[in-house]
Formats: sequence, structure tokens, C-alpha cells
Amino acid sequence: MSVRVEHLWKTFRIPHEKRTTIFENLAELVRPNRYETFFALKDINFEVNDGEFIGIIGDNGSGKSTMLKIIANIIRPTKGRVKVDGKMTPFLELGVGFHPDLTARENIIVYGTIMGISRKEIRERIDDVIEFAGLEKFQDTKLKNLSSGMQVRLAFSTAIQTDPDVLLVDEVLAVGDMEFQQKCFDVFKRYRNEGVTVLFVSHGMDAVRRFCDRTLLLSRGEQVGFDDTGAILETYINRQC
Amino acid sequence: MPTPSHLQLLWSYRELILRLAWSDLKLRYKGSALGFFWSLLEPLLMLFVLFEVFTNLMRIQVENYQLFLLLGIVLWNFLDRGTSLSIWSIVGKPSMVQKVYFPRDILVISTCIMALMMTMLEFIVFVIFMFAFRAMPGWTIGYFPILSMLEFFVVLGLSMSLSALNVYFRDVQFIWKVIMQIGFFATPILYPITIFPENVRWIVMLNPMALIIIMMRDSILYRTPPEPLSLLYLAISAVAILLLGYFIFDRLEPRFAEVI
Repeated sequence: MSVRVEHLWKTFRIPHEKRTTIFENLAELVRPNRYETFFALKDINFEVNDGEFIGIIGDNGSGKSTMLKIIANIIRPTKGRVKVDGKMTPFLELGVGFHPDLTARENIIVYGTIMGISRKEIRERIDDVIEFAGLEKFQDTKLKNLSSGMQVRLAFSTAIQTDPDVLLVDEVLAVGDMEFQQKCFDVFKRYRNEGVTVLFVSHGMDAVRRFCDRTLLLSRGEQVGFDDTGAILETYINRQC
Repeated sequence: MPTPSHLQLLWSYRELILRLAWSDLKLRYKGSALGFFWSLLEPLLMLFVLFEVFTNLMRIQVENYQLFLLLGIVLWNFLDRGTSLSIWSIVGKPSMVQKVYFPRDILVISTCIMALMMTMLEFIVFVIFMFAFRAMPGWTIGYFPILSMLEFFVVLGLSMSLSALNVYFRDVQFIWKVIMQIGFFATPILYPITIFPENVRWIVMLNPMALIIIMMRDSILYRTPPEPLSLLYLAISAVAILLLGYFIFDRLEPRFAEVI
């Protein structure tokens, strides 16, 4: 078992009025703030086997991203447990820690380190990364002087150098053009062949159908189903009608 | 808490800590043509002004006053810079908190290490001054690493609490600025401790920064070892500040990604 989620609940307390200073918080004593409780996830249970490719689908606001962030340990559950075996890498956003005033090369080093790649590996692979991103001529150009397409390619080429046991992917495909999406698919295939466990949040039904062995369907924080991708997609489409 | 297992975890992230510190340092100096010389120039100019004011107007009589002053300023700058940069170390990097996960004290530690690197550059200037004024240190220089480490504990401990509190209360940064202003004059940086009336001296000496500065001066400039009891008090208070910082940070850390 590489990922196990047990009775997972997440609630957010949303204040009517946001108070961000000590002064405003002292006002709390005089004029209490009102809060709404929002149930982002309600009693989610599922288990993922080693090397499985899992899709997570649902409408906007159904809790998909919250789910992924809890598995990634970025936010903590209100109740319940999450257990992950092995090294986990989240791809929630490409280019975390990118700085406009550092050069392409320097950014690869910083971002690679954040993604948990060792210094030695970065040194060995940096030229491949630059080549894969097609930025040989721009490796000493500051990031802010690269086009946004180049920046995405740079981030992506760096990110895929990680070799995790569990990979969490959130809508990374949404940002690129057709060619970029194809590159992403190729990388997914590679990870799949290497036996990496992948949890993949997506709105793209085609991608989910193409890659995912099983799929989790969420609706307003509730687990509608967790089953073979074909069956789940059918349920999802039928619910829409 | 800085438990053995947490320290082990931090050790496994050492490349990340140093990389973040190093790239922040580079960014800081990249904007200006003269690079890090500006950052050395700043304390020197300040030193010059203060020296003129305090020797000519205030008529302070201290042996090697230039070095006395420079050392005090460099040590205080480390505290000032370390804490005021660290206040931003969580709030200023939302994507590192919301999109990836690593132990979040790494952001604070790497900022403090960057501040330490800047202070080391200033220390180089200080050493050059020492040679210029032919003030050779004695064996008491052996206290330098211990005192430096204790100051690092103080800076890191304060930074941990301030950075975490600033996530929830954004006015912490302004309040801290005022406290640092007061602290600058309540600490014997520009003048010796003897300038304070005898009956309030013990209050001034409760401040760990005052002890660090006085002991550093004694051991580097005046060949005088620190009093064992004062050193013990300093060590205990520095460790207490560090532990309290971690305690506050650990309490507030779970909701960083939601609140930031």
C-alpha cells in the first residue's frame, strides 16, 4: 500500500471579516467575529496500491485540491489519517521558488533543490535539463527576460528530474499548449513504466481515461465513488445530466 | 522542537537550507553594481558618524573606541538584520508554503544563515581594523565561537516566533521595528555599561544582547574572560529564547498554508 487515506475530514472556519492584525484581534473581545464552517472533505477513505495511477475528479469546489494538499502534508486534516510510503513529490505548481532576477541556470539549481534533487544529481543533469527545455542559448539569461512559455518549459524540465515513489499532480496540464501537453503525457508514461504511484487531479476526462487505473470521484467534499476509471467516468457523466 | 530526530531531519535538508541562504544572498547583492561592497560601506559610514559624534560631542573615554564601537554595531546588526529579514521568511514566500512541503523552520533557518553570512563579511572588515589598530587578541578569543553560537540561538529563537506570529498578525513587523529602535539605545552599543546609573545596570544586564556585546568586547579587545555566572545566565537565556521560539512556531505552523 503506498497511500492510505482513513476517515479524512477537513473543515475550514471562514470568518465573515478577515482580521490580520493584533489590533483587529483585540477588537474580537468587544465585537466577536462570526464564522461559517465549511466542510471541504467529509469522511474520505481510500487506498492506493504501489505503482497505481489514480485519477481524482469532481466539479470545482469538490475538494480535489484540498485532498491533494493534505496528502502532501501542506495542510493538516481536521480528523482522520493519511499515510504515504516512500518519497513523495507534489507537482501542484511548476516553478516554486523561481526568482525573476536569477538566471535560468541558477533557477534550475534552486528549484531542483526544493524538489529534493541532490546537488550531485543536479550537477550531472543540468545540461540535459537546459537542452530538454530548449534553452541552450538562454541559460545565463535572467528568468524575467524569458518568455512565459520558456519559463514553463524550464520549470517542467527541472521538475521531471525528481524520482519520487509517489507523485501528486494538480492540473499541471492546464497551463500548456498541445506540444507541452504531449510532453507531459510522455513523462507520465515514463513514470508509469518506472512503477511510480501517481495521484492525478484533472478536469480533462481524456487524460484521466487514458492513464488512470482507478479514479476517485468527489462531490462537495463527499466521496461518491472509488472504482475503475470507466465506471467512475460513467457515473460522473450521468450525474451531470 | 529541536529534538534529535528533528535535527536529523534538518541535516537531511542541509543542501536546501544552504541553497536558499546562498541564492537570497546573491539576490541581495545583485541589484547594485558594486555588489557586496555597499553592504560593507554602510556599517563603516555609520561607524564614522557615530565615532565622530561620540568622541567629540559626548567625550566618551574608552580604550580603542573605534573597535569597541565597530564590534558593537556588527553584533547588533546581526540581530537586527536576522530578525527583520526573518519576519518575512514565511509570509514572503507563499508558494513555498502552499505548493510544496518541507519542514517550514527551514525558511527561517536559511534566512538567519544568510544574515550570518552578511555579518561574517562585516567581521572581515572588523579584523582588518584590528590589525590596523594593532589590537592583537589574547587567549580569551577562545570565547568568540561560544558567544557567536549563543547570539545565533537568540537570533534564530526570536526569528522563529516573529516569523510565525507575522503570518497571523501582520502588524508584528511594525511593533518589532519599534522594539529594535528602543533596544539599540537600551543596549551598551555606543557607550560602555558604566554610562547607565548604577541602580539600573542590573536591568540592562538582563538583556542577553547586552551580555553578548560586553563579553565579546572583553574577550576580543580587552583580554578579559567573561564571568562564569554571567556566561551561564547568558547560555540559559539564549537556549530558552530558542526553545520558546520553536514552541510558538510549532503551535502556529499547522495552519500556515491556510492563513498566509
